[in-house]
Parts: sequence; C-alpha cells; structure tokens
Amino acid sequence: MQVEFHLPSLGADMESATLTEWLKNPGERVRHGEPLATVETTKGLIDIEAYDDAQVLEHLVQPGTKVPVGAPLARLEISGAPQAPPPSVPSQPPAAPAAPAAAATTAAPASSAKTAHARISPAARRRAHELGLPLETFARSAAGGIIHVADVEKLAPPVASAQGDARAAMRASIGMAMARSKREIPHYYLSHAVDFGPARDWLIGHNAPLAVKDRLIEAVLITKAVALAAARIEGFNGYFRDGRFESASAVHAGAAIAVRSGGLVAPALLDANQKDLPTLMRDFSALVMRVRAGHMRSGEFTAATITVTSLGADGVDVLFPIINPPQVAIVGAGAIREQPWVQGSQCVARPVLTLSLGADHRVTDGRLGARFLRAIAELLAHPELL
Amino acid sequence: MEPKEIQTKLLALLTGVAPDIDPASIEPSKNLRDQFDFDSMDALHFATAVSEAFAIDIAEADYPRLASLEGAQRFVEERLAAR
Repeated sequence: MQVEFHLPSLGADMESATLTEWLKNPGERVRHGEPLATVETTKGLIDIEAYDDAQVLEHLVQPGTKVPVGAPLARLEISGAPQAPPPSVPSQPPAAPAAPAAAATTAAPASSAKTAHARISPAARRRAHELGLPLETFARSAAGGIIHVADVEKLAPPVASAQGDARAAMRASIGMAMARSKREIPHYYLSHAVDFGPARDWLIGHNAPLAVKDRLIEAVLITKAVALAAARIEGFNGYFRDGRFESASAVHAGAAIAVRSGGLVAPALLDANQKDLPTLMRDFSALVMRVRAGHMRSGEFTAATITVTSLGADGVDVLFPIINPPQVAIVGAGAIREQPWVQGSQCVARPVLTLSLGADHRVTDGRLGARFLRAIAELLAHPELL
Repeated sequence: MEPKEIQTKLLALLTGVAPDIDPASIEPSKNLRDQFDFDSMDALHFATAVSEAFAIDIAEADYPRLASLEGAQRFVEERLAAR
C-alpha cells in the first residue's frame, strides 16, 4: 500500500523545518523507528524516524527546502513484500560505511554526507549552514579529523555572524510553546522540601566501587522517582487533547536539557519507570550527548508524557515549572543545598531538595498533586526501591 | 607524557564530550560550569573521558579538580607522576 510520509510535529512550538538530508534513497528499505531523513529545526538537527517498515518510492522534497508541519516529504510503499529497487539505484544496507570512491553510485552521496555529519562539530555545521557552504565541501577534507568552526571560517566569505538568528529562533519557539501553555492550561503549583540525605548517601556508596562511566548522577534518581510515582498516581502522566485527559500507559519522562547556544529542549527518556537505574543512566547520558551534538531523534521529541526539570548544583532552591503542552504535569527539582532540617527535636544540617509541581487543574487538584509529590519524596527517602 | 601533550589531549577530550563549544573560545583557567554552562552530566562525561584516556581512576571527591581545563591538567600531571 502506498502512503505519503509527512513532516511530523516535533513539539507544540514547531511550525516548519528545513529538510537537510535524505538518509534513505528511493528503492531503499527503512524499518520502523529507523531514521528516514534529517531536518533542521530551531532545536537543531533531528532525524525523522519511520513509523512503519517500508520502502522509499520517491522523495517529494529536496534537501534545502523549508516545509510546514504536515507537508508530504516522500511516498512510501508499506507492505510485507518488498519491491525490487529501480535498477539505477542500488539499495544499500542501513549501516553501510561510506562507499569507497571506486564504488561511487547514485546512492553514495547519502552515505558520504552521513559520514560528514559525524565528523563536523555542530557549531561548525551550524556555521557552514549559515554561510551556505554545503557539508560535502568539508566531508572530503575531513580525513579522519573533526572539522571545527575555525576550519569553516577559513572558507567563509567575510560576512557578519548570523548566530544571533538561531538563538532568536529558539527563543521564539520556546515563547510560542509557553504562551500556549499559559493561555490554555490552568496551572496550579505545589512545592515540597525533602531530605536528600538518604539518596545522596546511597548514591555515594553505589558509585564508589564503579568506573567513572558507570556512575549515576542525582538527576537519574529524581527522574526514576518521578516516573514511578507518575505510573502509580493517575492524573499526571498523559495528554490533554480534544477537551479531555488521556492517561498514558507508558511513562516517557521528558528531561529538560539546557542548550548551550541558548534555550532548552525536553526530549523523552522512554519507559523511565520500567528501566533500572544503570539503564536509565545510559539512556540519559546518550540523550544529553545527542542534544550537545545538535542531532536528535524525532521519536524522543514527541514521546514525553510528563517532564522533569532540574536546576542543577548552581541553581536556586525552587522553580515554578510551566507545563509543556499537551502534557499535564511537570516536576521541578531545585538545587540540592545544605539547609537546617528538624530531625526529632534537633536542628541538623541536611542536603535539602525542594521538589515542585506544575499541574493542570482541568485534570487534577492540589490534593492529588500533594499525594504525587509526597510519593516522589517517599521514593527518594528509600533509594534502594528505585 | 609531556605537559603539552596532556594539554592537547585534554582539549580534544573536552570538545569530544561538548562538541557544541568552540575550542578557540576556551579559557583554560575558567570554570567550565561558568564558561559553558556545564551540568552534572557534562562533568561526568568529561571525567569519564579523562579517566579512560589517561587510564587513571577518578574518585567522585576529585571531580571538582576537573572543573577547569587548567585544573584538569594539574590533576592529570600529578596522577601520572605518582605512577
């Protein structure tokens, strides 16, 4: 069966994107969840993943074209029986390395451009894009090394930097999503201070014998606790759409990650409630690397059912988070600081974490919100249960 | 290992875990958190890279020593000298 593949919406704030590269050519097969094309958005480069196993029949949009959300990008054949690829375009296995020069075919540019992506730093790629220099210019000179901004500048005509534009686009995009949230969602806010001592002590003991790469960070414990509580207490995990709340069965925890060039993104950690801490840590680590590299996946942008936002060590005590529509709740974690804490009849210094909740009054009330925050606190008090 | 060699390696490790920073803009004495908004995940990525590249163990208590490029250089030099 022939279908059109459309540009998906990768967030409430996205209106359009520019197709930068086809990762699958006509005749090639793509599997469910495998990237089909890369688009550039205000959030950076995002690989658009296929929804079904399919064969690419035709590209309807060429690289460099800006298209609105919902625009048809390609025609696909979805069926169990693969068609023979057109003779002029040899099909390549998905993980094929860059084709050697001698084997250059019509399919080669896709794979060599892919190699170029891996070797060009995001800052350099952005600069190259701003200057209108095709990536292939650098792909041939990469020779195993990484192309940095300085290398791009060498080829740049003397023009003023357009970096400010990308920053402004990201701000506009966040502004649009947050304005929608504040306009449509009747928020209520709660906060609750917890003694993070037990979790911190558990973490120190857990990490001590491990190699650096296997250690956990506080944000992973907090995310897991939020995901478990969201799975147990109905009303915080899911979407508000078409005038009603749809509870989600899986908990995909969006992790708010600051983008260094300005702004932030909140891609999802899939099935966060079901993963053990080391697995969740690996997923989180890989997600942050994809954000830093400016190259993410479409699935992780659309999947989040609830968001967790953490201010980090140099933040302030408490934040009042704004819901990312169509989600219905967002949990904030302030900076963990030594603070006076009453224990029995004594006042002692403890590492205190202030959790906060921004939730949708169309779905829940403060009473249930309080139960939700307390459930998270209870889990953090017993980190061995995470 | 020569100090210059360590320096070059550290710079490569840093831009490896933070490909979105412009290496020319790095001030070696400045805190990475202040300079590039490094979060705890970035810090862990850098510590992991340093630990693996120089084959040295880094306790959590030593993470603050990797707060700047210069700090990391002194730390690695000390550790390599102690071997």
